[in-house]
Amino acid sequence: MARVARATASRPGLPHPGALATPRSDNAVDAFVKRFTGSGGEVARADPELPPGEWLARFLRGLEPQVTGVALAPDVPPELRPRLQEAAGAHASAGISLAWGAAADTGSLVLPSTGTRAVQLLPPVHVVWLPAGRVFARLDDALLELGAGLPAAVGLHSGPSKSADIGRTVVTGVHGPGRCIAVLS
Amino acid sequence: MHTRIRDYPSRSSEIIRDDPGVRDAVTGATIAFDQKRLQGYAEVDADAWRRWAEGVKSHTLTHLDRYLAEAETQLEANGAEVHWAADAAEAREIVMSLAARHSVKSVVKGKSMVAEEIDLNPALEAAGIEVYETDLGEYILQLLEEEPSHILGPAIHKSLQQVQELFADRLGSEPGGDPDTLARAARRVLRDAFIQADMGITGGNFLVAETGTVALIENEGNIRLTTSLPRVHVAVVGIEKLLPRMADLSGFLQLTARAATGQPIGCFVSLVQGPASHPDDDGPEAVHVVLVDNGRTDVLAHEHAWEALRCLRCGACLNACPVYRQTGGHAYGYVYSGPIGSVLDPGLLGLHEAMPLPFASSLCGACEDACPVRIPIPEMLLEWRREAQEEGLTPWKERAALKGLASVATRPGLYRLAGRIGSRLGATGVARGLPMLGEWAADRALPQPSRRTFRELWRKGIE
Repeated sequence: MARVARATASRPGLPHPGALATPRSDNAVDAFVKRFTGSGGEVARADPELPPGEWLARFLRGLEPQVTGVALAPDVPPELRPRLQEAAGAHASAGISLAWGAAADTGSLVLPSTGTRAVQLLPPVHVVWLPAGRVFARLDDALLELGAGLPAAVGLHSGPSKSADIGRTVVTGVHGPGRCIAVLS
Repeated sequence: MHTRIRDYPSRSSEIIRDDPGVRDAVTGATIAFDQKRLQGYAEVDADAWRRWAEGVKSHTLTHLDRYLAEAETQLEANGAEVHWAADAAEAREIVMSLAARHSVKSVVKGKSMVAEEIDLNPALEAAGIEVYETDLGEYILQLLEEEPSHILGPAIHKSLQQVQELFADRLGSEPGGDPDTLARAARRVLRDAFIQADMGITGGNFLVAETGTVALIENEGNIRLTTSLPRVHVAVVGIEKLLPRMADLSGFLQLTARAATGQPIGCFVSLVQGPASHPDDDGPEAVHVVLVDNGRTDVLAHEHAWEALRCLRCGACLNACPVYRQTGGHAYGYVYSGPIGSVLDPGLLGLHEAMPLPFASSLCGACEDACPVRIPIPEMLLEWRREAQEEGLTPWKERAALKGLASVATRPGLYRLAGRIGSRLGATGVARGLPMLGEWAADRALPQPSRRTFRELWRKGIE
């Protein structure tokens, strides 16, 4: 540290330029959907007529290939838990998480580590319940709001796992989930 | 890390002559990246974003001691351990002692340039620890025992056919498989590695001082897994990676992604504050942050070179560079290649060690236009060239030739005579035949000069 102090000593300190002004969309939910699907994410809208758990169970049963076991994050509330065969993250064919929120300008789901990371990362399909009113216009707004109570880790998921390292061809589901589905409630 | 920088002239000619597939693959990939960057920049007010990012980074670097102290305090408050490494050897020793302390038998790694810089893998392997590179491109190179050739796409110099042959041979995948099949074959091996590993090692794109947050950007999900599944996470981070506040992070996450691949943000971002503390969190029980100097304070103290520490490692300057496109990164002989390598390596390693990289450029300026933090690379290259000249690091023949040119140019009679000879014989022929200029002219094609010198035309009146 003393070395760093010596190295900076001869140069006058430059000022911080302040906040970066980036545009805020009027309709954050629409902007989120556009960005998230633009990066290969999928969006489903829950049926308000059905209890959420039942809707989710029907939705999962409709997925191809067949969902054989679901991994459920511990913070998913009881009314959201579909009555389906449960499995540990490493063996489940779908993981169900609850997002803390989302950012519209980057199309990102904000996932705290308390939602257990195995559920967010290991199953080939990740279904993320996004509570109403939790879409922030800008990632900056979301991070600042989260800032006070940051958990050990936060994941920003903005689409499915992707790589173009082989022959410059994009493949999905390389390590993380190959499908990332945000459910708007 | 040992360097092969000195061999740049011979290695670059070898690659171009003996392995033309490299030039095709690298040129194709970098042009595609570059076009995506241009699209990514066009969607936002890129000039304003770049000026802002330059300002934040320059502010941070001129107050780096303060922000490093704040980051250390905050990380420790989060339950993470902070370690300081003055050089590569110390950084390796720290990681090795952490591996011993946590009884580590296997390691999964996220792509990290600093880990390459400190030569970490050989040290781990020598201690009998299994190491898996988990970025798909890095994994390919690990199987081939090659070094990365590009910051972002480490294996862009490899063709699909080369990967097909490699995976058929090493992973038993079907010959001629498509990229999807090949990726699945790698995923199977690496998924087991993630679940078995005791330690995950990553770099860090940013370290936010205010919150003690190590931020990591990626697309595959391998870094999320590396920082989540093993019981120990070690982040090896250069001391220049600091950002002052959480409010600075979002802009940098977006700008880095746009500069690198044109994406609005990486598919996955990991924000790591410390070890898991909540009962529902299945993350690592220990998080270590190793802050690496390894020449960075020398760069910081340098009158001109310090601006290179703003670098986000996005690779945009490599993609834009007509010189890099010819050979890819291997010719440069060090982990940081291309335009940024040519200005950073002399600062990190010493100018003597990094010669002749400051000369491996046409000074076209495309790198500076692409750079998300506006590093004035061409200007810095000229500064390094001037320093090389002053320190007598340029070839003595070239120095003598320049001296000769100076003495001719300041004697009008001699200058007229030389001009006449040159215009009659053709510049290339004359230059190659001269004892001093021969070496310089050997690699260059000079234009055919006018039959008459400018002075002759001037006297007669230009028709």
